[in-house]
Amino acid sequence: MSQAPNTDTKTPCADAPVGHHRGHPTSKESLVDHARSLDCIHCGLCLTTCPTYQLTGSETSSPRGRIHLMRAVAEDRLEPDAGFREEMDFCLVCRHCESVCPAGVEFGAMMEFTRSSLMERQKPGPFARIARWVGFRRILPSRFGLKAAVLGLNLGQRLGAIRLVAPLMGLRGSVMRHLPKVPPRAERKPLPALTPAKGEKRDRVLVLEGCVMPELFGRVNHAVADTLSATGLDVLAVPKHVCCGALHAHNGEMQAAEGLARKTIDMFDAVDASARVVIDSAGCGAHMREYGRLLANDPKYKERAAAFGDRVVDYSEELNRPEARERLDPLLTGDHGIQGTVTWDDPCHLCHGQGITDQPRELLDAVPGLERKEMTAANSCCGSAGIYSVLRPKDSLDVLAPKLEHLKDCGAKTLVTANPGCHQQWQVGVSREKLDTDVLHLAEVIQRSLRADS
Amino acid sequence: MATMAGLSRSQLKELTRIVGDRGVRTDAGAKSAYESDGFMLERAAPSVVVLPRSTQEAAQAVRVLRDAGLVIVPRGAGTGLSGGARPIAGGAVLGTARMREVLEVNEVDRYARVQAGVVNVHLSNACDSAGLFYAPDPSSQTACTIGGNVGNNSGGPHGFRYGSTTRHVLGLTLVDADGEITELGGAFPDPCHGYDLIGPLVGSEGMLGLVTEVTVKLLPQPETVETLLCLFEDLDACCDAVSEMIARRLEPSAIEILDRLTIEAVEASVLRAGYPANAEAVMLIEVDGGAHEVAATSEDILQVAKEFGAFDSRRTSDPKERKKLWAGRKGAFGAMGRIAPDLYVADVVVPRTRLREIVQVAAEACTARGLRLANVFHAGDGNLHPNISYDRRDKEEVSRVVEAGAIIMQACVDAGGSLTGEHGVGLEKQDEMCMLFSNDDLGAMKSLKAVFDPAEFWNPGKMIPVRGCREIHTKPLPIDQGEVVS
Repeated sequence: MSQAPNTDTKTPCADAPVGHHRGHPTSKESLVDHARSLDCIHCGLCLTTCPTYQLTGSETSSPRGRIHLMRAVAEDRLEPDAGFREEMDFCLVCRHCESVCPAGVEFGAMMEFTRSSLMERQKPGPFARIARWVGFRRILPSRFGLKAAVLGLNLGQRLGAIRLVAPLMGLRGSVMRHLPKVPPRAERKPLPALTPAKGEKRDRVLVLEGCVMPELFGRVNHAVADTLSATGLDVLAVPKHVCCGALHAHNGEMQAAEGLARKTIDMFDAVDASARVVIDSAGCGAHMREYGRLLANDPKYKERAAAFGDRVVDYSEELNRPEARERLDPLLTGDHGIQGTVTWDDPCHLCHGQGITDQPRELLDAVPGLERKEMTAANSCCGSAGIYSVLRPKDSLDVLAPKLEHLKDCGAKTLVTANPGCHQQWQVGVSREKLDTDVLHLAEVIQRSLRADS
Repeated sequence: MATMAGLSRSQLKELTRIVGDRGVRTDAGAKSAYESDGFMLERAAPSVVVLPRSTQEAAQAVRVLRDAGLVIVPRGAGTGLSGGARPIAGGAVLGTARMREVLEVNEVDRYARVQAGVVNVHLSNACDSAGLFYAPDPSSQTACTIGGNVGNNSGGPHGFRYGSTTRHVLGLTLVDADGEITELGGAFPDPCHGYDLIGPLVGSEGMLGLVTEVTVKLLPQPETVETLLCLFEDLDACCDAVSEMIARRLEPSAIEILDRLTIEAVEASVLRAGYPANAEAVMLIEVDGGAHEVAATSEDILQVAKEFGAFDSRRTSDPKERKKLWAGRKGAFGAMGRIAPDLYVADVVVPRTRLREIVQVAAEACTARGLRLANVFHAGDGNLHPNISYDRRDKEEVSRVVEAGAIIMQACVDAGGSLTGEHGVGLEKQDEMCMLFSNDDLGAMKSLKAVFDPAEFWNPGKMIPVRGCREIHTKPLPIDQGEVVS
C-alpha cells in the first residue's frame, strides 16, 4: 500500500532547494523545484498522455514542456511572466504523465510547488484574493461554511435564481446550472461515529467523510459505511473533521494545506491511531497518502505524517482485499436493478496518483448480472480536476468532449467512478449531451447489489 | 504582441488567421520550449512556432514564412535524438502536432492514409480491430509521429524482420518552398509514373520539404507471437549468440539486448518489466508467424542461447506479459533519467559479427573519460545504442561525451558499419559524415537538396557538414559542440 519504491540514485544538485515547502521565494531559482526538474530527460514519452497537449498540440502545454519552462525559470533563462503562469494554471495536474514516465519524474509534486511559489510571489488581484480567501479559508475547511454555501445553492436552485444568474456568468454559469441538485436533508446526514460490523467483526477502519461529499454526495458516504460494515468491519467516522487539504495543495495554498494535514492527522489519530483510513474520494486519497512528503520539513509531524500516509487506502482497495471479498461475494446478488452495460472511468488520482486500476474493475466484475465494458481512454482526464472546472470552464469542457465521444462509442448505460469532482463532471457532460447514462460511485453499485438481508 | 525580425505585424496576423490563435506562438516560453528535441547537447530557439491543422493550412503558412524570409524547421513530436527538429538559430518551427487525423484505413487493400502528426501507436490502434498493424515501432512509438518517422526513416525493434519506414511508405503529400502541394505515389503506386521520389524523401530529415500526409502499408497481425527473455552472465556471449542465431538462418522478428545498468534503471521505473537483477545482459526476442513455425523457431533460439551460456530463459505468448516485457525495453532511454539529468543516445550500426568489439570500444572510451555507459541495442540489426549519462550544466563533461561519441562512431565506420541506424544525422553527426563520405559524396547530396530546395529554406544547416571535411579532419574534435547556443 505504500508508494512504489523510489530507488533514485541521483544526488541532488548542491545549490538546488531540497525539501518541499519553504518561506516566501526570494529568487527565481527557488520559485520551482529545480532538483526534481532535473529528473526529466526530455524523451517526450509523456506528450500524448497530456490532456492539454491534446488540446493545443503545443510543447508549452505538455508535461515535458512545462518542466522545461520551470527549469528555464530556475536557471534564469526565462521570466516567470504571465505566459509562464498561464501554462502552469492550464495544467489539470491529472498526473497521467507520471504513469508513463520512465524517469519517474514527480510531476504533480513539482506543479504544486510551482503554483504555491507563484501564489506567494505574485498575489492575485483583490477580487480573486477575496474569492480565494472565502473558498479556501472559510468554506472548504468549515462545516458551517459548506452548509451555508449548500444552503445558498439549494435556495438558488429552488427559486430558480441560478437560471437568472447563470447567463450573467457566461460559461461558468452554464456549468453552475448543472451543479447537482442539493439532495434531501436525509441524505446529507453525517455518518454515525460508529457503524458496527454486521456478522462476525473482523477489523475496524476509519473513513473520511470529506468536505463536499457529505453535502452533495452524502449517499456515497453512507454506501461506503454500509458495504464495509457488511463485510465485518467496524466503520469509524471522525466527527467534526472536514477537509484534508487536497484542493488547497493543488491550487497553490500550501500553508493552508499543511495546517489541514496536521489537523486531519490529529483528529483521526485521536479516534484510532492504527486503523486503516478508507477514502472514497480519489483526489483526497492521493493527497493523504503523501502527507509524509507534505510535512517532511516539520520535525514534529514528519514521522506521524508518513505513518498516517501508509495507512491510507482507497475504498476499492479495502473492499477487494481477500478477507473482504470472502465476506462480500456471498452477499452480492444480481438484484441491483442496474440495466445495460456498465463502464469504469478511472479517476486520475486513483489510477495515476495511487496506481489503482484493477481493484474497482474486479469488484464490478464480481457483481452478478453486471456486464462491464471498457471505455477507450478510461484512464485519461475528464476535465474536472478539483476546482479546475470552475476556474477554467471552457478548457474543462474541451477536455471532457473526447471522453463523451468515447462514452457514446462504448454504449454503457451506467458510468462508475470514485471521485466527487469526476462524478459531478460526468453528470454535467451527460446532461449536456442528453445521454441516457447514469453516473454512480462504485460504493453505490456495491450497495445496490447487496442482499436485502445483509 | 511584438513583431520580430523577419515577420511583420501583418504577416503575424495573417499566420494567426490561417492557423488560429493557438497555432502561432512567439512568446518567450514557446521559443524556449522548442529550443531542443530529444537531443540535449545543444539548443537554439526559433523565433516563431507555427502549428497548422491541415495540408492547406501548412501550405499557406509556408508562403507567409517564405515571404518573411524565415527558414523552416519541420517538427513532429520532437522525440528525435539527433537535433533534427530544432533550429540552428531563429527561423520558424513548423510542427505537425495538431495534424493527427487518421484519414482512411482501408482494410481490404491494407493501407492507411494519415496526417503527418498522427502518433505511431495510434495508427496501429486504429487498425487493430481489423486485424492489421503498422510495422515500424520505434521505442518512442507512444509519442513520435508518422511524419517524424518518415523524416528519419525510423526503425524500431521489429525493423529486424519488417524493415524500417521506407519499406512501408506508399505515398506522400509534400509541401514545397513555394507552398505548392505535391502528391507522390499513393495507395497503389505501381505502375510508377516517372521517377520514384518517395525514396529520397524518406529519411531526408525535413530538408527537402514538409510532408503533411502519408499513405502506409498495413500488415496482417501474425497468428502467433511469442516473446522470449534469455539471461546471460556475460554481455559478450550475449552478442555472439545473436550473431550465431542469424548465421543459423533463424528469423525472429526482433532481437534486443539490454545491459546491466539499463536493466537496473528500467527495473527502478514505473515500467519495471521483471528483468532479473542478477543478469549481466538480457536478450529480448520476439518470434511471430504461424503456430508451428513460431514453436520451432523459439526452440532453436533457446537452444543457441543455452549453447552461448544463457543461464535462464522465459517464454510467453500472453499479451499482457509480452506488453510488460516490451514496455521495459521501450522506456529504457527515459529510465536513464534516474542516473543523470541528461542522456546522450548514440545510434550506430556494425556488422553483427563485430558487435562485441564495438561494445568494448564504447566501454573503454567511456571508462577513460569517467563517463557512465549503458547499452541497449537492436542486436538483430547490428544497431547499437550506447547511452552515455551526463549533466549538461557541466560543460567539460559535455565535451567528453562528444569525444566518446566520436570515438564510437569512428570505430563503427572502421568496422564497416554506419553512423546512424535510425535516429538520423541531424546536428549530432553532421561533422562525422566526413568519416563515411567523401567530398564528392557530400557534393552529390547537396545537389539533390538543391533540386528540391534551391533556396536552402528547409531545415538548413543539418546533416551535410557546414564546414569542409578537410577542415573538420584537421581539428582533433569539434569543441564548439559543447557550448549552448541561445
